[in-house]
Amino acid sequence: MLQSFILAVPLFLLLAAGIVMIGGDTSRRIREKLASYPIGLAFLSSLVTLYTVTHEGPIAIRFYDPSSVTSLIIPLGLYVDRLSAVMMTLITAVSMIIYIYSTTYMYQDGHARRYLSLICLTDFVLICMVSSSNLMMLFLFWQLLSYLLYLLAHNHAHVGTLVGAFKTFTILRIADTAFLAGIVLAFQLYGTLEFHELFARAASTPITLSLVPGVDVNGTTVITFLIFIGAMGKSAQFPLHLWLPGSLFAPTPVHALLHAGIINAGGFLINRLAPLFGMSSTTLHIAFVVGTLTAVLGASMMLVQSDIKKTLGFSTIGQMGYMIMECGLGAFSLAVFHLIAHGLFKATVFLYCGNVIHKTRQDPHFPHTDHAVNDEPGFSRLTWSTGFVTTLFIPLLILLGTHGILHIPLLESQGTVIILFFIWITSSQAILTLTRLRAVASWKVSATMLVTLLFIVFNYLFAVESFTAFLYPNPDEVASYFKAAALPDWLFDLLIIGATGLTVLGWCYLYLRAHGQNVWTPSWIEDLRIRLYTVFINRLYADEIYQSIGVTAGHLIHRIDKLERGWSR
Amino acid sequence: MVTMMEFFASSLLTAVPLLGALLSLVFWSDPKRVKTCSIASSILTFALILGMARLLPPPPTGLLSLYLLPLGAMTSVLSHPLHEEHRFSWMVTLVCLGFGIGTLTGPDLSGSFFLMMLLVTIIALLYRHHTALWPMSWWGVGLLIFGLVCLGISMLTVPPLSSIASLMICAVLLPLAPLHGGYLTTVTRLPGNLPSFVVLLLPIVGLHQLSTILSAIPEDVVSVVNVLALVGALYSAVKALAQSRVRLVLGYGCLSFFSIVWWFVTITGATTPRTALLVGAIGLATSGLLIAWQVIRTRYGDDVDPQAISGLAAAMPKYAVVLSLLGLASMGIPPFGVFAGFMGLVLTSPQASVFGLFLVLGAWLAASWYIMQLVQQLLFGASRPDLRYTDLLNPELISLLIVVLVLLALGLVPSTLFSPEQAVQPQTTVFLESLAWRN
Repeated sequence: MLQSFILAVPLFLLLAAGIVMIGGDTSRRIREKLASYPIGLAFLSSLVTLYTVTHEGPIAIRFYDPSSVTSLIIPLGLYVDRLSAVMMTLITAVSMIIYIYSTTYMYQDGHARRYLSLICLTDFVLICMVSSSNLMMLFLFWQLLSYLLYLLAHNHAHVGTLVGAFKTFTILRIADTAFLAGIVLAFQLYGTLEFHELFARAASTPITLSLVPGVDVNGTTVITFLIFIGAMGKSAQFPLHLWLPGSLFAPTPVHALLHAGIINAGGFLINRLAPLFGMSSTTLHIAFVVGTLTAVLGASMMLVQSDIKKTLGFSTIGQMGYMIMECGLGAFSLAVFHLIAHGLFKATVFLYCGNVIHKTRQDPHFPHTDHAVNDEPGFSRLTWSTGFVTTLFIPLLILLGTHGILHIPLLESQGTVIILFFIWITSSQAILTLTRLRAVASWKVSATMLVTLLFIVFNYLFAVESFTAFLYPNPDEVASYFKAAALPDWLFDLLIIGATGLTVLGWCYLYLRAHGQNVWTPSWIEDLRIRLYTVFINRLYADEIYQSIGVTAGHLIHRIDKLERGWSR
Repeated sequence: MVTMMEFFASSLLTAVPLLGALLSLVFWSDPKRVKTCSIASSILTFALILGMARLLPPPPTGLLSLYLLPLGAMTSVLSHPLHEEHRFSWMVTLVCLGFGIGTLTGPDLSGSFFLMMLLVTIIALLYRHHTALWPMSWWGVGLLIFGLVCLGISMLTVPPLSSIASLMICAVLLPLAPLHGGYLTTVTRLPGNLPSFVVLLLPIVGLHQLSTILSAIPEDVVSVVNVLALVGALYSAVKALAQSRVRLVLGYGCLSFFSIVWWFVTITGATTPRTALLVGAIGLATSGLLIAWQVIRTRYGDDVDPQAISGLAAAMPKYAVVLSLLGLASMGIPPFGVFAGFMGLVLTSPQASVFGLFLVLGAWLAASWYIMQLVQQLLFGASRPDLRYTDLLNPELISLLIVVLVLLALGLVPSTLFSPEQAVQPQTTVFLESLAWRN
């Protein structure tokens, strides 16, 4: 009975795709509406699955014999644990909302049928991917997802879209190839692609590879690094992020799905293979560096974009960087929490962004700017004091309290410091945004700040405590991930102090600007700011570099071709 | 020792298509009946293979190759438009099918005889259809003649000379650089529907030959072949990327994948049902793409530039869907046979070098560019108002759908189904120990 519910989730989505795809044009509207019911049923089945898996433990349905994986080349089966069930619920929930929205939003679009059926197919592939029972099946659906992304980003007759779609496919295939190399290596070294067996064998038999004479690398490091490149592709990590801005010509609901569901694949993959990643500190550190770089660059590029979709696209890149950074720090459950929150938030924003674009086209005075004239950013002692207290004083108090009074050895646990740091950074960011929006003397604003702080603290505590306990019930496992991801103390302290310093500096700068004072900065910083602005508005010239690489490779290929007096003559 | 039953089964399977070819001469004046006769003979051959498979000696690479040949012949003929000029190529398809099955099922001497007849037929066809515009086809004909001479040498001499001569024939049939010219000539220069059949037939025959002689090839020669395979995979991928003519793109793409097969064969020292799966799937996928290209040639001319035809996705939706699926299959994307065969080999073969593995993955990756570029050029972009678009006709659609479905089946069905007598690959623990690069 329960297995039927699990199987029903992908099958309902496939049915929905079939309903949209098959049939004449006369019944198209009815079929489009009708298809939303199986999607809704898929969501309900996901909820039942989540409830059951939570109470009864993981469920495995295999259509092959795991002991002879080689006899069936593509071993198909489902393995649903809490992580899978959470992802299934998220995907089906977001898909249901997006689909219902799309049926109205796209009803006049000539390609509506194709897009809607592709959305259902993509959901099906995503569900199969997150519930894969082994690495091979996961890779199979991972690749199908790459192709579906290529198709989703397509508008047949639009040249820019064609270029973007081809770029998307190219970049994702590069990442997929690395992923495949990781899988092959995993099978070569450990003889299995079944998740739990793979983790057990990797833990019990440490293998060292000698790639180049004199350079020995841990087997799990090479495997996880290659698989991480695969995750980088799907989750748009620098420098494989280029496909995401290139695919922005796709319809808005497609974007909602892309940014809320598909892009989370990288985070899911790392979490699915968390025990393997937990065995390689090197890969986790690489993930941390890549994630940090992507978060910084993504956020910087987001700030200077003038197009709403591009702004949101780069915001997603930044958030994905943030998520990968969390994985790199060993906070795997936090990354899942983040991707769920981001998925829901970004889907909402993208669905609304379509309305904004439409409204802008109809109303030349939209967005209205009158509030900017009326509400000049002012200075309120009350607001700024509350901001200061909530973002600097209270966190410091909590830190000293936990360390001094409760005797929790914070400095010995980088994981706890990271969580506290994230709480602080997030609440500061939220309160800063509030201050910038409404820096007026009002108890309401101050109260909102305090509530925001409490809300964020509660959320993080929930994420850290409840969600971590839910996803990873074994506390030792969680501790081992943090331990594996631990950075050298001096580097960790430097990063924390540096980030804190920058944040406080930012606060001071904004405070002074809000106070009506000019902040003196050296001329070279001004120059640098302008240069960086140019670089970021041009998206690091990455598209040009990509194009230049393509042209150079093309020239080289044709030169090699001409060297041989062969068939091309 | 060949039993009477085996001889009977082999002779019957060889005779049916050849008799079909003779029968088509009776209906020569009516192209429709010639085509029907060719299709019926192919279907009958397929049915007989299904029924008599147990009577045949178990081939080392399984029975998949035998099943695929009549299917390939049938789809190739079925997709070809009805015209009196095409009768000859339909009849020759049956002749080649007969010789191919004879080579695969016949005992040593008769197998070699049928292979010789197959090569002679192809050489004669290429000679007959040679044009001064394609001087390179002489080089291809020369290589096929070289293969024929090697066949003679292998029959007349003793090992190791006979083994090396046989290896040369294999390299001509299952193309391996630098002896790939013959294969490219057949793909580009054979008339009518023949390229779409021969692209499948020659590699299957080549693999069969290879499986019989592999154990007798000296180690040093195997090492040379290993290097040639790696270089060939890279070389042909680069060449495929540089081509503008569709048949050359497909020819070089095939060569790249077959080089990968050669590499696996040399590092494992054996051919398995998985090797046959990969070779068959590559051949069939390329055959499907050639049929799809034949559809375009039928409508827009023989040597049409794919860049000049665009926007087929909107104007010819059925064609667009099938071509997309064939493109996916050809570039090794799941769940089609090429992916299954590739994964089957890559997972179950002990890797001699990480460098080799990465080169092979690079060649696999390159297919995403040249095949995708080809598909994108044809399907997407704006439709041209000056062109008349006609979607797939029923015979074309059916033949292409058969190819797609067979490729899908090859990807999803366990490979052991095609070779029930074969033991499953060594268990992972065994070859874990054999990994040379483990510490």
